[in-house]
Amino acid sequence: MAVFNSKDRVIECKIVYYGPGRSGKTTNLEYIFKAGKKYTNSEMVSINTKGDRTLFFDFLPIGLGKIRGCDVKVQLYTVPGQAKYSSTRKLVLKNVDGVVFVADSLEIQRKANFLSLKDLQQNLAEQNMIIFKIPLVIQYNKRDLGAQGIPIMPVEVMERDLNSKLKVPSFEASAMKGKGVGDTLKKCLILTLRHLQKELKWSQ
Amino acid sequence: MSDKERIKSLIKEAEIYRKQGLLEESKEKYEEILKFIQNHERYSKDKKLIDTVKSKIRTVEGTLDEIDQVTETPELSQEVQDLISRLFTFSKDKDMAAIEGAVALAKFGQYEKALVEFQRLIEEGKMPLLLAKNILMCHIALSSQDAAIAQFKQWVSRDAFSRRELKYIRIFLENALVKQGIKADLPQVEEAPAEEGKPEEKEEDIIDISSVRVQLVNGPRKGEMVEFEITFQLGNKISTIIPAQQKDLADAFEPGLRLSGMQCLSPLAIFNSRGIVSGLKIITSGPRRGDYALDITIDGV
Repeated sequence: MAVFNSKDRVIECKIVYYGPGRSGKTTNLEYIFKAGKKYTNSEMVSINTKGDRTLFFDFLPIGLGKIRGCDVKVQLYTVPGQAKYSSTRKLVLKNVDGVVFVADSLEIQRKANFLSLKDLQQNLAEQNMIIFKIPLVIQYNKRDLGAQGIPIMPVEVMERDLNSKLKVPSFEASAMKGKGVGDTLKKCLILTLRHLQKELKWSQ
Repeated sequence: MSDKERIKSLIKEAEIYRKQGLLEESKEKYEEILKFIQNHERYSKDKKLIDTVKSKIRTVEGTLDEIDQVTETPELSQEVQDLISRLFTFSKDKDMAAIEGAVALAKFGQYEKALVEFQRLIEEGKMPLLLAKNILMCHIALSSQDAAIAQFKQWVSRDAFSRRELKYIRIFLENALVKQGIKADLPQVEEAPAEEGKPEEKEEDIIDISSVRVQLVNGPRKGEMVEFEITFQLGNKISTIIPAQQKDLADAFEPGLRLSGMQCLSPLAIFNSRGIVSGLKIITSGPRRGDYALDITIDGV
């Protein structure tokens, strides 16, 4: 849940990058950190284990400057994607305001995408949040691998698998190259801030 | 695609999976290549090719083993530990926030630091029962079962808790040790005669509850089990918020309504309880303006 300090006109919100293990959540944040250094004075915090797997979470605070007189601060998090870190995902997801679901375009990850989205739905439900109502954006990552002859799923298949019911904005991306990373975040921020504006009446 | 091209393509695929960290998938792909080679007469005698693929499989297996052996909960830097305490504290109540911060440390496997925090807070007399259980859990997580037992014995000898509380802690510790396959000889705690007439549940006996499940007994959703996240807790009084859009749900909770089939979920356990709706009002200011604040008093576990 976002924090809105009406006296100082500061709003803080939390966006979580969710998705199966190795889908590129951390790569998204790393790109944002490198590309958007002017928006943050803080370092990106990553707690990784062997093989660069996210163990607990990544954390990157960014400032968006003033919007309608309010200082907007955003905290970006990733969750560990591996199934065994369920309790950590639940904790990181607590009080989330917006979600970016990073789906892996590799054919071999089709089931992992589906299971991770289901896991997101369940973990949101445990917080009395409904996946259909939360600001959510889906990113189809690793699109560049198709050009290297690696089997990836057509976007239409991924849309059908993951987004036929949700009908949320989706973006093709190659986070390693930074492609689609900014568009994904921008859309999630717009949705989140609109949602918060409605919920918190913070522009009044 | 010729067989040679197919092998090249499969090797490329396996290498990309390896670089992506999809090690199981990479291993499977290399095994597929090996099978393919061994089943084709033209390549089955190419010892160099077979050895190369086998070597790749060994490399991937080696990395998988290294990952398996890595400790799941490394000791993090002081800076990151402080960050965890700060980021995963949600309560506005200062005392609860301090406890949440320490619980977060424990959840992220920072048991030693969490233990220091729990010990500090218990010295300050904050929610001692909850803290006592967390202290014992940290000792056990650190494989210091002896320290947990010694701590309990110290609490017994110092009369740090009421007899009733000590009995509760004893059961908790005994169960936690049994789960570890340890049958410890813990000191018995006798109920003091003077305490016999006390109410069934004291305020401080209720541990930290993160959410509560309630079966609806009124309204259109009668019979449905709903879960609420606890936004505030003071002893046996818990509060939650029902969004304005769910007026029908709020209407199902008239003050005075008895709730007999509740399930309380805490970081440590799920337990059945009963209670009474002690308040329902519309929030008139702040970010949750228009939502309903529901208060429940737990009067039995």
